[in-house]
Amino acid sequence: MSDLAEHELLRGSLDHCVKCTICETACPVSNVSPLFPGPKYAGPQSERYRVADEPSVDLSVDYCSGCGICSQVCPQGVKIAEINAQARHKLKRQQGVPLRDRIITRPTWLGRAGTLGAPIANFSLTFKPARILAEKTLGVHRDAPAPKFAGRRFSKWAQGRTGAKTGRKIVYFHGCGTEYYEPWEGEKVVEILEHNGFEVIVPKQDCCGLPLQSSGLFDDARKVVLRLARNLAAHIRDEDTIIVGNATSCTLMLKREGREILGLQDDPALKRVSERTYDICELLLELHDRGELNTAFAPINETVAYHAPCQQQGHWVGKPALDLLALVPGLEVKEMNARCCGIAGTYGLKAEKYDIAMAVGRDLFDQVAASGAPTVACDSETCRWQIAHGTQLPSVHPIDYLHRAYGLGH
Amino acid sequence: MGTLSTDVLVIGGGATGAGVAWDAALRGLDVVLVDRQDLAEGTSGRFHGLLHSGGRYAVKDPNAARECIGENRILRHVAADCIEDTGGLFVTTSWDDPAYADRFAQGCADTGVDCEEISVAEALRSEPRLNPSISRAFMVPDANIDVWKTVWAMSHGAQQRGARILPYHAAVRIHRDGDQVSGARVRDARTGEESDIHARITVNAAGAWAGQVADLAGIEGVRVLPGRGIMIAMNHRLVNTVINRCQLPTDGDIIVPIRTVSVIGTTDQHTDDPDDHTIDQNEVDQMLDDGEKLVPGFRGARALRVWTGVRPLFEDAKQSDTDTRDVTRAHALLDHAQRDDVRGFVTITGGKLTTFRLMAEETVNAVCRQLGETRPCVTSTTPLPGSESGEHYRLGERLARKEANLVDEQVICECELVPRSKLEEAMTRTSSTNLDDIRRQLRLGMGPCQGGFCIYRATGILHGLDGLTAAQADASLLEFLQERWKGVWPVLYGDQLRQARLDDWIFQGVLDVAHLPS
Amino acid sequence: MRSELHFDAVVIGGGTAGLTAGIRLAQDGARVCVLAKGHGSTHLAPATIDVLGYAPDLVTEPARALEELIAARPDHPYALIGSEVIADALTWFATTAADGPHPGYGYTGGLERNLLLPTALGALRPSALVPETMAAGERSQLHRVCIVGTPSLRDFHPSLCAANLAAAGIEARAVSLDLTLERADMSALGLARYFDDPKWRARFCAELSLALRAEEHIGLPAMLGLRDPHAVLTDLEHRLGRRVFEIPTLPPSVPGMRLYEILRAALRAAGGRLVLGAEVVSSARDGERLTAVSTRAAGRDLVYAAPMFVLASGGFASGGIELDSHWITHERVLGLPLRGLPDATQPPAPRFVATYLDEQPLARVGVAVDAQLRAECVENVIIAGATLPGAAPWREGSGEGIALASGYRAAQVVAGQANAKQEATTA
Repeated sequence: MSDLAEHELLRGSLDHCVKCTICETACPVSNVSPLFPGPKYAGPQSERYRVADEPSVDLSVDYCSGCGICSQVCPQGVKIAEINAQARHKLKRQQGVPLRDRIITRPTWLGRAGTLGAPIANFSLTFKPARILAEKTLGVHRDAPAPKFAGRRFSKWAQGRTGAKTGRKIVYFHGCGTEYYEPWEGEKVVEILEHNGFEVIVPKQDCCGLPLQSSGLFDDARKVVLRLARNLAAHIRDEDTIIVGNATSCTLMLKREGREILGLQDDPALKRVSERTYDICELLLELHDRGELNTAFAPINETVAYHAPCQQQGHWVGKPALDLLALVPGLEVKEMNARCCGIAGTYGLKAEKYDIAMAVGRDLFDQVAASGAPTVACDSETCRWQIAHGTQLPSVHPIDYLHRAYGLGH
Repeated sequence: MGTLSTDVLVIGGGATGAGVAWDAALRGLDVVLVDRQDLAEGTSGRFHGLLHSGGRYAVKDPNAARECIGENRILRHVAADCIEDTGGLFVTTSWDDPAYADRFAQGCADTGVDCEEISVAEALRSEPRLNPSISRAFMVPDANIDVWKTVWAMSHGAQQRGARILPYHAAVRIHRDGDQVSGARVRDARTGEESDIHARITVNAAGAWAGQVADLAGIEGVRVLPGRGIMIAMNHRLVNTVINRCQLPTDGDIIVPIRTVSVIGTTDQHTDDPDDHTIDQNEVDQMLDDGEKLVPGFRGARALRVWTGVRPLFEDAKQSDTDTRDVTRAHALLDHAQRDDVRGFVTITGGKLTTFRLMAEETVNAVCRQLGETRPCVTSTTPLPGSESGEHYRLGERLARKEANLVDEQVICECELVPRSKLEEAMTRTSSTNLDDIRRQLRLGMGPCQGGFCIYRATGILHGLDGLTAAQADASLLEFLQERWKGVWPVLYGDQLRQARLDDWIFQGVLDVAHLPS
Repeated sequence: MRSELHFDAVVIGGGTAGLTAGIRLAQDGARVCVLAKGHGSTHLAPATIDVLGYAPDLVTEPARALEELIAARPDHPYALIGSEVIADALTWFATTAADGPHPGYGYTGGLERNLLLPTALGALRPSALVPETMAAGERSQLHRVCIVGTPSLRDFHPSLCAANLAAAGIEARAVSLDLTLERADMSALGLARYFDDPKWRARFCAELSLALRAEEHIGLPAMLGLRDPHAVLTDLEHRLGRRVFEIPTLPPSVPGMRLYEILRAALRAAGGRLVLGAEVVSSARDGERLTAVSTRAAGRDLVYAAPMFVLASGGFASGGIELDSHWITHERVLGLPLRGLPDATQPPAPRFVATYLDEQPLARVGVAVDAQLRAECVENVIIAGATLPGAAPWREGSGEGIALASGYRAAQVVAGQANAKQEATTA
């Protein structure tokens, strides 16, 4: 579909807006920064003033973090975040994309380079003068949370593994965060799935294109997500094949954003992948609801704060991690009621947005502190890095607790 | 107000009357303009906003086509700020006679209307919502014109040259002494006070009401047959180009993108009363069905509001009482010195908005003739106030202004991006407590929520500024709500019905307007 | 694998009615899931519980007026719910609010006497239960009042509010404080975040104190904090040395967001699930029973199956009921038959009348139900809230009362039917 036709389709949803302000109550950014006037303003309201072939005049839409909460809470079905993403895309095409955005939106390149030279890369990520240089030259904020390269790759572990070869096959989409930074999370996913009788297939895979998309680089994002979709689709054997991921923002890219924001509704491979992709907690809870989850959990007598990240909320499946964690005996789960940690993928890395991102996260960080919990569980890796940065507490994926409660700990 | 004396008294504050005032003031004449209501509240403020290229008349009425393209070129220059250069398309749909397209192209060539045929694919690329089954498409220089902006600009320009503009002053008598008209008695509609205006020449520019004004002067046979048509404003730009059906002009054959909305028009029902604003349900349905032909999904899109406008169709009963072929959309200038041997009185009526400047020019020429003075017209070369730069209006202008003042400027009407400063300035300048007058000046409350959020705000500001009593402020609020409802309820379905219920919730629930102490 | 989730009951709608039904069912031990397309009425409404304000004249004693209404209008939702259940629902709600996530914050009032609270326009609006932050604005306590606003808040105009209160015989005046804030377009929500900060409150009170006169109550737009409104109110009253109250104004509604948090937390505490962003797009039936509904989630539709459903999707305002451009009215989620439509035979009766403040003929349309609030034709769907026919919430001042009481009642009916079914199976 052409950009313009796609745009018109999303634009049409502005007709549903009754100006009710509900999106404004939920927007993490506009509630802490006057630089973003809010989702109603940037979305259905400004859209009435936009003409396809005239230049963008509303530069403030660049301050939208693309978290998608506005579309989720809108009771009228306005595609607010999607309209904003389109407007940001147009603005970026007009302004040009900074080198910084071309780099930080390529986790595969970064990951490969960083893994090879992990000690040096990790040193430079924590070495203040290097970060100051990066801020001055690239516009990546010196204090922004940067994960450490693990120095090993998850896919190497998976290749060398001789797991169960019986049972239902399931395709695992691990994403770049697991591949380069947190391979142990992927290992846990595989072990939990095997513990529940699945045979886990790990196809060759790269980035989903979400960082490119959220920075307005739509053409590049389309190429990347379609390549991934084809790689994953090749492993779909029958109608029952499931694809599961633990990077909740990347699974959302496959499920919806690639199709709706990038206008790839009609791509058959992406459609097949989209329909059968699950977030890991969503899958496990569904298994539980059908009585198929192994619930032989050993007690964990701890307290954990749980934050459902925006991109997980964007799956529109509720908060399955909360219900899963509740199955672990002894585990006291405190639900955080903040909107967003602030990072929104790469938003909080950018020098001009770092302060906003930290202000957005403040509510969550305060709630975590007030809860007294020593650890924060959260489904999305960039959010975990931001939470660890903002709270100075460890932040883990919710499945860590299931893995431990299953007695699968290494 | 005491007795006034002037060279020219203009009765009627629509585009034509304001054009006459502007033209006459530019020629150095002293002018008083009166209107029984606010400026541009009649026919001018109630049309779809099309600045004709002439294409519409290229086959049926070549003279009108020539007039339109001529005026189109002039106005693009002198009223640039009031015009958005959208361009226009004439498209042949499957409901149109396919043979008409060639006649259309020929007609345009014959009348000098710039017209270029483009491929259907190209038309659909630039207007993705357009019906894909169209078979031909022609580009013409149609545009939209903001009539309120144009009328205010002419009125301000005339005022700067000494003209006195008196809205809400209805002519209740025309002073006539034998064969000489010498002015009129006017009544202030807000105070009821009456006063006299002595004028060397009185211009009847009352449009659809011109017959009534001629009657006041005791002049017979000026018959204006009001032709009533409805228009529906859709919530946003379904198209960014004016879309016309390529066929002989008929009902529901045009969609005009203007400001933030698209307007579909129109019907044509004869009525005896120019103040008849009845909206017939069948006409609404017909418009929606016609919209569907041009833009599939039209019925699913959101309609904001419907209104009626009354065209002045002139019939000179004095020339021929039986021949209705004289009923014409062309304009009619009646120099009553020649026609009726009554001096000091000129009537201008009929016509269309695109040719208002030409009508004003001819009228003031007649005025000068009667006065025995030679004063050349300069309106075709003098830009209106605000249009000096020659830059056309762009849809993004209000958004760009808000962006430039993002954190400093409070917006009161969010849909139409009306800032508080502009609102306060308009309230102070007009000293009107009528929020509907403010609406026409600023487009306050004209967007999707139809005042749901801004009217409480505007009432509060009005109350603070003008030192109104609570009862006066409440009355302004309630009048506005009723005025809005009038245009909303006949097209209330789908999204706009949800909006209306939310607005009810705000006004009747949260604010409890039905139980105010006053 | 087909995504199908099974529950004891599924509630469609996340406004006051749906959440109340969901909480009550979960408190009863049912596995319940509330499907919400987005946030609803709570975020927009004043958050007062208006049971019956006008019938059509001002109601002073709602308990008595309810009995009269029930006797006179057997088709009214209150007549189907019954006065006992209405009273129980209010008591339950007051307890739930008091136990809610905002320490010390609760509701006061009851069915004996309506409380008359100023609106932002200065009208006096009748409510049965009101948040404690609004209580000091009650007419009988209001002799001298200072209405305080700021030009920074475009949604509240103190001078107009005070002028109308004065017209109602209250000694009222207005004060407008110039506050330096980070943006000109500030909502009550933006200000509520300031009021959450004790240091900012101290500065605000210091400035306001200079403008106050003796024995005045202070009326402020409803913006006294989101996190801990009780502490904000207490602090303001302490610092200013007089009673302070909130006046609801244009959306977004700060007290409404508190109300949502009370209900959301209660649902979670009772073990109920809430899925936000879950628009129901299709449904499956088996004869006269609804078996499942599907929501649009990312990537695919999710199927929620249950033996019982509560439909609380709202009326025309929320799109639960809609009128299309062919002038046909539908219940949007399940296509249920409606009641209260203007006569559509030729010539059709008008859907609207030309006078804005008159009652509109479409006002009382809702899903046709039996005395148990069950939808006609689909026996296991219970209707609650603005989806019910027979009421004109704004005109009656009854919206939140109907939402609360019908949500409460719907849960009873669901539980009753489940028990009946179980007994039948056991027998």
